[in-house]
Amino acid sequence: MAAPNLANLSNDPLEPRVLIEGKQTDATLNDSLLQHVWRGAGKGWWACFSVALALLGLLVVAVTWTLYKGIGSWGNNIPVGWAFGIINFVWWIGIGHAGTLISAILLLLQQKWRTSINRFAEAMTLFAVICALLFPLIHTGRPWFAAYWLLPYPSTNGIWPQFKSPLVWDVFAVSTYFTVSLLFWFLGLIPDLASLRDSSKSPIKRRIYGLLAMGWRGSGRHWAEYKWAYLLLAGLSTPLVLSVHTIVSFDFAVSVLPGWHTTIFPPYFVAGAVFSGFAMVATWMIPARHFLGLKHVITIRHIENMCKVMLATGMMVTYGYIMEHFIAWYSGNPYEFSQFFRVRQRGPMAPVYWLMIFCNVLVPQLFWFKRVRTNLAIVWIASIFVNVGMWCERFTIVVTSLHRDFIPSSWKMYAPTWVDISLFAGTIGLFSTLFLLFLKFVPAVAVTEVKELRHEMAHDAEPRAAGGAH
Amino acid sequence: MSGGHEGSGFVPRHFVLAEYPTTDALLQGTKEVRARGHKSVDTHTPYPVHGMEEALGIKRFKIPFIVLMGAIAGAVIAYSMIYFCNVIDWPLNVGNRPPHSPPANIPITFELTVLLASGSAFMGVFALSKLPMPYHPVFESENFLRASVDAFFLSVEVPAGVNADKVAEDVRAAGGQSIEIVEESER
Repeated sequence: MAAPNLANLSNDPLEPRVLIEGKQTDATLNDSLLQHVWRGAGKGWWACFSVALALLGLLVVAVTWTLYKGIGSWGNNIPVGWAFGIINFVWWIGIGHAGTLISAILLLLQQKWRTSINRFAEAMTLFAVICALLFPLIHTGRPWFAAYWLLPYPSTNGIWPQFKSPLVWDVFAVSTYFTVSLLFWFLGLIPDLASLRDSSKSPIKRRIYGLLAMGWRGSGRHWAEYKWAYLLLAGLSTPLVLSVHTIVSFDFAVSVLPGWHTTIFPPYFVAGAVFSGFAMVATWMIPARHFLGLKHVITIRHIENMCKVMLATGMMVTYGYIMEHFIAWYSGNPYEFSQFFRVRQRGPMAPVYWLMIFCNVLVPQLFWFKRVRTNLAIVWIASIFVNVGMWCERFTIVVTSLHRDFIPSSWKMYAPTWVDISLFAGTIGLFSTLFLLFLKFVPAVAVTEVKELRHEMAHDAEPRAAGGAH
Repeated sequence: MSGGHEGSGFVPRHFVLAEYPTTDALLQGTKEVRARGHKSVDTHTPYPVHGMEEALGIKRFKIPFIVLMGAIAGAVIAYSMIYFCNVIDWPLNVGNRPPHSPPANIPITFELTVLLASGSAFMGVFALSKLPMPYHPVFESENFLRASVDAFFLSVEVPAGVNADKVAEDVRAAGGQSIEIVEESER
């Protein structure tokens, strides 16, 4: 419309890189951000989708086998046999945390750069939590009975869940996290669904998006309450996201196992979660911005900022490692000392430990350099290393502690079974399938919020363009 | 425009719909139309416009109160549920901890507080906005398709017994462009 078109909307002299590139209006943003929904699926999308579906098929096989054969197929006759289930649950749930951090915490901190990546990251949160939930559900062996043991409802068993157990806290934490993330995501999506409805050409799509948009008509009265609700949801999600991985870490920290029984776990897990989540966002975003034509709203500045967050959280994780080792030595506890300085560093699982140190401590140091942060190929490869490193961290924590606990009778080497590996690969397939469908049917960037940001920046730039002081 | 449809008892509502070129013009226009004594004025924009609450005369927001109530309900329900289950109904001795041990109750109380507060924020928006409402008379206008894309609209509901043209005249005087009078269709 008649809003001023300024070529360069950057108004911060210290930050010359822009958040929205080129001369954009509401109409051009609308077209360019929705076009990936309207155009047909390309060969690349189908290729990725078939790989994802194949892995999803593997998941179906592995889940069916687990239910048919029992959890013995995971090798569960010693404590360490649970390792893959725990590792993958913690890994996936951590990946979800970046989405909530971007959508909620960065909103409260008024970080404008969150705007073009929040939708994308929130979707990853939802899908990652679905993958995570699968593991505790399947590990019960008979998931259709799980509700009897986990949820407090008056049953003929006459017994209630044990509310002092972190595992029950986990049920509440993770299910709340999923529900709140879904509500937050859908609330943000409604205005975009309305613009999908209004710019769709085919009557069927118009009906479907119209149903989902619930008759949103951009009313000023609705926006007033909507903005409040969105802000409050962000405010509620902020402590929620911190609590979720804190409670996940309680599953470990409340036990007495050497290597798990530490008070640093909650902050260290939360930092690790954000670290791995940002890495996963980068891994998907760098190709997606290219193939979906989103380079004008997901600019180098966004990538750079994400690298900085990875650097900061990577340093926090490093600090966590240092403190764990320090306390193991300082406490004078021989089991702790042996766990950290013998089993982890020189034991049979040592290669995983050293890979973890390489990926999580050394690789993020690359992000100190601007030349690295602006080189997409290096950032992409580094983000994959971080994903691997965080998986190794969970492997190290779970396996090394469990395969050498206090009772030598439960000591055994750990090797995942084919079912374990298929379940893990299968959840990657589930995640990819859901994500590719999301990219096909829903705008990957919050169109409404980007338009609002453009409008805001144009408004701020006006007095400057006129030569006046602001 | 016919007043009412014979037989069915359906009386269609009428809305005056006007477009404004910028958000500033829309804010100004909204204030002027309201100053002329029109009560049910609304604006339709693709994104929230700063200052629109004042222009529309919205003084109090209901969502924060609803969310507070949800949060209190969540906390009370969670804590009393745990207390009832573990202290009153079936005290379970685990590691000789007291049946009522407050620190262990914090996580679930917190989670349910957040859950019910968020749920009430979400439901609150829909209840207060009376959504889902798939049909609204403003959708009758072809031009209104741009309200979610790049156009800024003002709508005034014409009160019963008032001539819509008179309302349209007021909106025109307040800077409204491409003015339309839309009629609710029977369905």
